[in-house]
Amino acid sequence: MSTIALSINNKAIGPIETSDDIMMIEFLHEHLNMTGTKFGCGVGVCHACTVIVDNEDGTSESVRTCINGVSRFNGKKIRTIEGHAKENEFGEIIKLSPVQETFIENFSFQCGWCTSGFVNETTVLVERLKLMPIHVSEIETVIDKALGDHICRCTGYVKYYQAVKELILATEGLTRS
Amino acid sequence: MKINVNALKLSALLLALPLTVNAAQDELVEQGKYLAKLGDCTACHTIDVGQANGGGLPFTTPFGIVYSTNISSDEEFGIGHYSLKDFTDAMRGGVAPKGNLYPAMPYTSYHLLTDQDIEALYRYFMSTKPVKQENRDNDLMFPTNIRMGLKAWNLVNHDSKVFEANADKSEKWNRGSYIVNGLGHCGECHTPRDAMFAMDQSRHFEGELIGGAMASNITPQELNRQGWTKQDLDDVLRKGYSRKGTVFAGMYPVVFHSFSHLTKDDMSAVTSYLLDNDAEVAAKSDIFNGHDKSDPGYALYTGFCAGCHGIDGEGKPNVSPALIANATIDKAAPINTLSVMLNGVEEQRYSHTHGFYAMPSYRDTLDVKQLTELTNYIRKVWTKQPSDLTESQVQDWVDQIEDSIADAAH
Repeated sequence: MSTIALSINNKAIGPIETSDDIMMIEFLHEHLNMTGTKFGCGVGVCHACTVIVDNEDGTSESVRTCINGVSRFNGKKIRTIEGHAKENEFGEIIKLSPVQETFIENFSFQCGWCTSGFVNETTVLVERLKLMPIHVSEIETVIDKALGDHICRCTGYVKYYQAVKELILATEGLTRS
Repeated sequence: MKINVNALKLSALLLALPLTVNAAQDELVEQGKYLAKLGDCTACHTIDVGQANGGGLPFTTPFGIVYSTNISSDEEFGIGHYSLKDFTDAMRGGVAPKGNLYPAMPYTSYHLLTDQDIEALYRYFMSTKPVKQENRDNDLMFPTNIRMGLKAWNLVNHDSKVFEANADKSEKWNRGSYIVNGLGHCGECHTPRDAMFAMDQSRHFEGELIGGAMASNITPQELNRQGWTKQDLDDVLRKGYSRKGTVFAGMYPVVFHSFSHLTKDDMSAVTSYLLDNDAEVAAKSDIFNGHDKSDPGYALYTGFCAGCHGIDGEGKPNVSPALIANATIDKAAPINTLSVMLNGVEEQRYSHTHGFYAMPSYRDTLDVKQLTELTNYIRKVWTKQPSDLTESQVQDWVDQIEDSIADAAH
C-alpha cells in the first residue's frame, strides 16, 4: 500500500491509502469519484485520459493517467477537466473556460469521450503560448504538434483544430505577426 | 509424309534452350533478390518519399553528411551502366566507376561475398525498376570531401579478401559467419571503431554507441551469459521481440527489412554462429529478485513504468516488452536502459497482429538523480548486475548518449 497526498484543482486531497499498482485514472475514478477524465485505450495511445501537472517552476505538462501510476502524482499539483469551469458557491457552473467555450462554439466534439483530453492539452498549449508567443504563420504546425497524438473517433479533428486556431488568434499575446 | 525425328528433336532442343537460360537467369535474379534483403540494401538506399533503391538517405557522420546513392537499374542516375566487374569492384573494394565510395557503404563487410552471390545481386539490381532520381552531393568537411583520400584509407584499413571458411567449425557455423559478417554487415554497428574509424576487429562485436543507443555486445560470451537460446535469437531477429526482450532504435528497420526474411536454414546458421553452438542451448531461469518497497526506485517504477511493463515486469503483449529476462537491462553498462528512458522508443509494427506501442521520452521529466535511482532499481529487481551506480556515472553515460545522437552512420 502507498499513501498518496496531492492537490487536484487547487484542493488538497489525502493522505489516502491506495494499493501500489493502480494507475492514476483508477485513483481518480474509484477513490475520488472524479469521472470526467475518460479511460480510452488503456495503453497510452489515445490520450483521452490526459490531465495537467503543474510543475514548481511555473510550467505545466500534460500526462496520461492510464499508463502512469498514482505514485508519479504524489505531492504534485494537478488539474483535471472538473477544474476548468468557474463555479458559484453552490458548486454550480457559472462560466466555462475559454478552451471549453471555443470547443462548444465550433461543435468540436460529438460523443465527448476524448474532450477532456483535448481540453487539458489545449489549455497547456494556450498557457505555453502566453509565456512564449509564436509567429502567426506557425499556428497550424504548433497546433498539430500539440494535439496530434489525441485521437477522436467522431468529428475528424477539423473542428477541434479550427476551434483552437480561432482561440489562439482571438487571445491577445499568443501570437506575433 | 516422312517425319524426320532427329530434326524434330533438334528443333525442340533449340526451342528449349532459351527457356533454360531464362530460367537460370530468373533463378539468379530471385537469389539476388533474397541476398539484397540479407544485405538490407533497400533500407539505406531509399528515402520515405522516394522509390525503392533511388537513394538519397542522409547519414550524419563526424565529418559531415553522406547521402546514399541511386542503385536502381536506371542507366543515367542509377547503376544500370555498371558491368559485373564494376559492381564487383564496388562491393568488394569500395571503388565505383565514378571513384571511391565512402565506407558508409559497407564494402568493408560485403567484400566477403562469393563471386556467385555478387553476380546474383548484380543480376537482381539490373532487373529492378529504373528510378529517375539524381544523386545528392555529399556535405563533407575538408579533407574528407576529397575522395582520393579514401584510397589511402583503404590501403591501411581495408582487406578485400573473400570469405574463407573456418575448418575447425561446422558448415552451419560457417554459413552463419558468412551471413552475419558479410551481407548482414552486423559488425558495422556492433564492432567498435578505432582511431581511423575502421572496425576494430580485435574487439569484434563488443558493441558500439551509435545514434543514441548501444549496438549491443553480441559476442557469444555475452549472449550466452545473458541466457539467449537459439529460439530466442530466432524470435528477436525474425519478429523483433522475444523472451529476452525486443529490438529498438536502429535495429528495428534491420529486422523489419532484412532479418525477418531469412530462410529457416539461414536463421539457424546465424543463431549457431552467434551463440557459437550448433546445438540448442538450454534456457537459464528468469530473474525476479522481488520488490524492495523501501527503495526510492520503487515509487519511480510504479509511477512511471509499471503501467505498461507490469508491476512485476511482466509486460503487456503487443504493448510493451517484459522486463523479466530482458537482455537490454542485463548489461554491465546500463547505456540502453538510459537510452530508452531518455529517447523513448518509437512505435513498432511487424504485422497487423504484432507490434509495440511507443514508449514516451523522459528526457525532460526525470532528472539524473531519478534516472540513477530507477536504473539501480531495475537492475536490483530483474538482473544480477550491481545496483550501486552513482549519479556521476549515470551523468557520464547520459552525456555519451546525447553526444552520439547526431552520429548515426554505420
